[in-house]
Amino acid sequence: MNNTTKMLITLGFIGIVAGGSLSFVNNWATPLIAANQKAETERAIFLVQPEAKSYERIDNLPFEAYKVFDENKTFVGYSLPYEGNGFQGKIRLMVGLSTDLNNIIAMEVLDQIETPGLGTKILEEPFKDQFKNLNSSSPIEWVKGSPPSKDNEIQAITGATISSKAIVAIINNGIEGLKKAELKGEEK
Amino acid sequence: MKKQVTLLKEYTKGLWEINPVFKQVLGMCPTLAVTVSAINGIAMALATTFVLVLSSLIISIIRKLIPPQVRIASYIVIIATFVTIADLVMKAQFPELSKSLGPFIPLIVVNCLILGRAEAFASKNTPVRALFDSLGNGTGFLIVLFIIGSIREILGSGTILGFHIMPLTFEPWLIMILPAGAFLTLGLLMGLANFYVDHKKNKERESIIEKFRSSKQLPTIETEA
Amino acid sequence: MEFFLLFISAAIINNFVLSMFLGICPFIGVSNKFSSALSMGMATTFVMVITAVVSWLIWHLILIPNGLEFLQIPSFILVIASLVQFVEMFIKKVSQPIYRALGIFLPLITTNCAILGLALLIAMKDYTFIEGIFFSLGAGAGFTLALILMAGIREELELADVPKPFRGAPITLIVAGLLALAFMGFAGMIS
Repeated sequence: MNNTTKMLITLGFIGIVAGGSLSFVNNWATPLIAANQKAETERAIFLVQPEAKSYERIDNLPFEAYKVFDENKTFVGYSLPYEGNGFQGKIRLMVGLSTDLNNIIAMEVLDQIETPGLGTKILEEPFKDQFKNLNSSSPIEWVKGSPPSKDNEIQAITGATISSKAIVAIINNGIEGLKKAELKGEEK
Repeated sequence: MKKQVTLLKEYTKGLWEINPVFKQVLGMCPTLAVTVSAINGIAMALATTFVLVLSSLIISIIRKLIPPQVRIASYIVIIATFVTIADLVMKAQFPELSKSLGPFIPLIVVNCLILGRAEAFASKNTPVRALFDSLGNGTGFLIVLFIIGSIREILGSGTILGFHIMPLTFEPWLIMILPAGAFLTLGLLMGLANFYVDHKKNKERESIIEKFRSSKQLPTIETEA
Repeated sequence: MEFFLLFISAAIINNFVLSMFLGICPFIGVSNKFSSALSMGMATTFVMVITAVVSWLIWHLILIPNGLEFLQIPSFILVIASLVQFVEMFIKKVSQPIYRALGIFLPLITTNCAILGLALLIAMKDYTFIEGIFFSLGAGAGFTLALILMAGIREELELADVPKPFRGAPITLIVAGLLALAFMGFAGMIS
């Protein structure tokens, strides 16, 4: 009995000290972690909208999307983070779009776990730059083996067709969703 | 009474003699998982060392107060607390690193190295000795992670700590940054370490035999003469 | 169908041992005999499923509602440690044959990072309760598969002339590397 109480007291004491110190560290770290996340999102928003100086989150959407403004507070376009399935796991992108949503300004990959050396080519300039000034009035398409011939086409990476296809699909889904939500709003 | 070893020895034994990875074969999961680059290896090893040193120290200080029946549970709570602190600090101060190490920071809790040192050393020795022992083991861990991380980074992406060092014509060996590369690198390194140890042992044995022979030779010659 | 995919993905494509490096210690330690590898695999799968259930409940019913997310690691590891102990006592009472087959492996499971890794991944990926169960079943199956494949190979290796410094852990790691390469072939099967 005496032994059991001793055990309980020791464990209880360790538990209290551990919990107390953790909540102390947690209180210190939580605002910093939140600030980091915010900074990261902000950086990505401006990365795909070179002219943007400020942004504003669009409310009442089933997903995240941002309107961005230049230094004169004029509305210059949208930044749309969107995710979907890649070759091995989730891919998360940030897409910069023009005000009418019919032009892609730039595309950036935020998170991915594609095959190193093959699928990870989606992170490299030659692939990402293809998306600059792409016409998105109709869904964008991909071609394989030959350079793109239309203004809504990109060339898939050799050896990473699935990753390339996945990115095209994610962008198309995202734009479609945003168009539905935003254009409907304007009609009202 | 066991012979007391010097504090320096307590530290240096972790570097090679009881190196956590090569000799104790402990803490393999992070060794393999995060070593795609040298910097990841260093960060992981530093986080592990932080947890290892602080929990060893605390456990050693309160070792006489903990009833033996609940010691493992107490150790686990102490270790988990320090791991959470490490995790939160990484997330707050080094978000990039924390992202690339992913769930492997929380998994330091189950790194057998820490519980192993707590049970085998810290629970039986004074805080000062525990401090040196854990620092030594941490350094040993750091060295191995740095070596594996460097090898994989140099061969897998042609860089070291982010700097290009391989000639431009060098085609990176993709396999090195894939999971398979981790297993192969560690396997080969461990084999090499064993080879070196065997080689040294053989040499020592031979030199002893040699000494023995030469010490015997003299008297035999004398008697013959 | 979706649950089946989750199972296959956890078991083969993102195999816990060969592509996520979880549970390497038992993988190297207990893979020298086929029969013990199978027992270890089954015991681990069993604990994994229970851990998935209990840790999901704790995460969603206790920690999140009370804003105690920072207690995740200590509470999960305590749950696992006490679960393993409880399972051990339970099996001992209920069935002696099973206890004799699995008993010695149970204490080893507490420090198997695959278990804690599983609990953390389920919380991180925000799986629903049912998804969590299928994910843990898949993870367990994948762990067992890797373990028995390795044991089969190691039993053959006994007869091979491996250079002396490479016997034991080094050759096991190299074989695991080759297995990991083979498992890469499954990548992209399901997207």
